[in-house]
Order: sequence, then C-alpha cells, then structure tokens
Amino acid sequence: MKKALLAVALTAALANTAHANIRINGFANFIGGMASEDRVVSPTQDPLYGYDDNISFREESLFALQASGDVNDRMSATVQVLARGENDFEVDFEWAYLTYRVTNNMAVSAGRFRLPLFRLSDSLDVGYSHHWISAPQAVYDVPFNDLDGFRIDYSDFAGDWEYKLGAAVGTFENEISAGTIEGDNTYLVSAEVSNDWLSIRSVYGSAKTTFDQPDLNAQITDQLSAVAPGLRDFLLMEEDTARFVGVGVQIDTFDWFVGGEYTDIDIEESYTPKDEAWYVTAGMRFGKWTPSFTYQSFKGDEVKGLDELAALGEPLQTAITPSLMAINGVFAQNYTVTSATVRYDYDSNIALKAEISRYSDDLNDTRDATLSRIAINYVF
Amino acid sequence: MKRTIGATLFGALLSLQAVAEVVVVVHPDNQATITKQNVQRLFLGKETAFPSSEAATIVTQPASQPLRAEFDSDVLGRNTAQVSAMWAKLVFTGRGIAPQEVETDAEVIEFIQGDKNAIGYIDSASVNGDVKVVNLD
Repeated sequence: MKKALLAVALTAALANTAHANIRINGFANFIGGMASEDRVVSPTQDPLYGYDDNISFREESLFALQASGDVNDRMSATVQVLARGENDFEVDFEWAYLTYRVTNNMAVSAGRFRLPLFRLSDSLDVGYSHHWISAPQAVYDVPFNDLDGFRIDYSDFAGDWEYKLGAAVGTFENEISAGTIEGDNTYLVSAEVSNDWLSIRSVYGSAKTTFDQPDLNAQITDQLSAVAPGLRDFLLMEEDTARFVGVGVQIDTFDWFVGGEYTDIDIEESYTPKDEAWYVTAGMRFGKWTPSFTYQSFKGDEVKGLDELAALGEPLQTAITPSLMAINGVFAQNYTVTSATVRYDYDSNIALKAEISRYSDDLNDTRDATLSRIAINYVF
Repeated sequence: MKRTIGATLFGALLSLQAVAEVVVVVHPDNQATITKQNVQRLFLGKETAFPSSEAATIVTQPASQPLRAEFDSDVLGRNTAQVSAMWAKLVFTGRGIAPQEVETDAEVIEFIQGDKNAIGYIDSASVNGDVKVVNLD
C-alpha cells in the first residue's frame, strides 16, 4: 500500500516534467555542535542529538530537494527527498503525495506526509522558517513523524479570524532503538484559529501501536509467560492504543513573540511511561537580529505495571519488581533544557544562528551538559 | 566636485523617496473588490483566490529590489525575511506555491497583461493604462 502510494505520487510528479511546469525548491541546514561533556547516554534517553565533546557537523545537518507539479487545475504532486548527516547523507523519500484541491478552502492529500502533530510539524526540518536551531526536542522529538495515508485540510476566514481544520488517517512505521515502531489505524484531528497576532491550536490523535524490540520483548516474554501472562500482555506494546493530546499558543506582534506547546502521549497498556512535554519560547526582532529564549520540560518516568503486579500478590511482587524497575530504567526520562538563541537574517534566503542550551537531567545528574551549536539555514 | 556629486546624489535620493510609492495593481478587467486585508492574505499565502473566488496569481519582485522591502513593510507589515520564512513554510509543506518573481515594474505590468487573474505591485510612477490600481484605504 505504502509503496503503491509513493509510486503513484512519483509517477505523477515525473510525468509532469513533460508539461514543463515543475517547481523545484530546496532547503539545507548546516549545523555544527559540541557538548560540554563526553556523556555515556543511551540513544533513547539523549535529548542532545548525539553530540559529544568533539565538534560535529553531521548529527543534524541535512539537505532536501522538493519537486512539485500540477497534474491538472486541481491536482498537484509533491515529492521531497531528504539526506540527513546522521544517516551518512543517504537520500530518503521523506514525503510523496498527491493533493486534490476540492474547493478554494479544502484540499485532500494522499501519500506520505508529515503527521501534523505539532504547530510546526510540517516545516520542522526547514530551519530557515523558525527562530531556533532545532524545534524543542522535548516536544518535537517523537518516534512517529511521517504518515502513509490521507489528509483533509480545510481553512476559511470569519471576520479577522482564520480557522483551519485538519484530519489525517493512515499508518506509520519507524525504526528506533534497535526496534521498529508501527502505528495502525492512526488518526489525528486538529483545529487552529488565528488572527493577526494570536494563534491557538489543539490536536487529538490515536493509533494502535506496536513496538517490536526483539531483546526486550524476549525478556518480558521469557520472564512472565509462565507466571504472569496477564502482566506480560499489559507490558508488551502490541496493538495497544496510543493517545496523543496537544495544545499550542503563539502571540506574534512582529516586534516580539511568545509561544508554547504542551503535549501528552500515553500508551496506557505498555511498559512505556506516559510522556508530558512542554516548552515556552519568547523573542524579539531587531531588524536582522532575532534573539530568543526557550525553556522546555519533559517528564516521563512513571514505573508501569506496578499496580497490575501488586494485584498478583507475593511472592511474584518481590520477584518481578526489579524487572519492572529495569525496564523503566531504559525508557524513563525527566529533564529540562534552557536555551538562548540568536538568529541573524543574512539574506532573504539565508539565516545564521547560534544557540547555547543547558540540559539538566532530573533522574541522573551525570547526564547534565551544555550544548553549543551554530547553524546556517538556506532555502531556494 | 565631489561635493557637487554628493549633493546631486543626495537630491536624487530625496526626490526618489518623495516619488516612490508602492501601489498594488491588477488587470483592468479584474472586477473583484479587493481590500488591503485581501492583499495581505494573498501575498502571505493565507488565501489563494480573490473575493470573487477567481484563483489569484501572485507576482512579486526580488528581495534585492527596494520596492519589495517597501511593499513588505508598508502593506504586509513584516520585513522581507519574515515574509520569505512564511513562504518557505508554505512551499515545503505543499500548502502553497511561491509567488512568481519578476525583476522590474515593466515586467510586472507585462505579466499582468498576460494573466487576467494576476496581482502585483509597482512604483506609482510606473502605472499606465495596462493595469488598474487597487485602492488599499
């Protein structure tokens, strides 16, 4: 299904070259960074993008090309390929979709596109379009970014207010932490109202989620199958319902702006803790300079399965508790990041940025570190 | 001599500023009632059609043109970098098609002659019978 959708979008986009009205755009982020300490942190628990105490330009640098063309008056095809430094700049099809403009206010897209979870989901990788070096990872770094499916967008005006409604359905699949996470029956609805200076957005989503991490799954199955099959089923993430709730507010007067987002992700019947994440950011624009400040918080460290285990009584409770704690130790995160960023508009398509972030881990302060980064963002 | 040149240049700059006024123009046959708010929404990619529901073709000038900066700040109320950032967001999310860009006022007029649904902006001094000025007040 997925491959078929990609192929359709691609064929439509390529066939269009004959009409000579194909639009090519691109963007690039060249980002270098260095952490103050050489920390040993598992990838599931590192909000510093893998930087260590040597300067690196590959963790976040990326290059992307987008081609789009009109199939007819109402239909267009878009393909975006993206090469990330962390993947040795291997070229990936990030997005490929067909959009059908039903009316001037409504469009339906089919294919692979960014899951519209957050206020800036769509333009997350386009560094030029925002004031940070990267969008706050506490909120934005989720293991399900791209959706294969359908999306409906509706927008209209009511007086000075613009409102946008969106719905998306489909599936996702992503490789993380030596495993694969899959979401079936994924759906998402969002609503946003905005005027000249204020924008408020809310989103609700759900997916039947399966996380296949062979080592972890084998451990849970081996330990619990015989003695506590109910607890095993509770802990394993197999077709379990994940729920996503998010709200965002932004005030932008163009001389200054302040905004924030809050998200809550919960896969109740699984070993993963419920995640609560939020950030606030504020900045001012002085001509070509945009200094800003951001504070973000991530909390997801509750130990799952304790109540279910307690119900089984002794001696299981004493015997299995250490295992629950060990699993929790792999996924638990509780941290804050405080950042100061400055953006300089070098040209109408090039921005230069510098950022210093202080990362403070509330579970293990040996992970604390300061991250310094510089970036060049380019669009064409 | 240098001072004379300086004075002449200064005078030229002053007179340029006195004359240069950006005006929004459309095809003379365009019957839509267009407000400043429509112009802002069209040039920021929030709307794709005129109030008459005809799809609009947006034509702009390059960031290197002083008139562009004037249009962005006076009519859109943003600086050019912000406008570019907003368009980057729309283009790379497939939610908008970047405006056509032409180099000069004459080319804007030519473009509008060739496309009845085009909307652009030029210096008021360049206005001729081939375009209709949109009243933004």
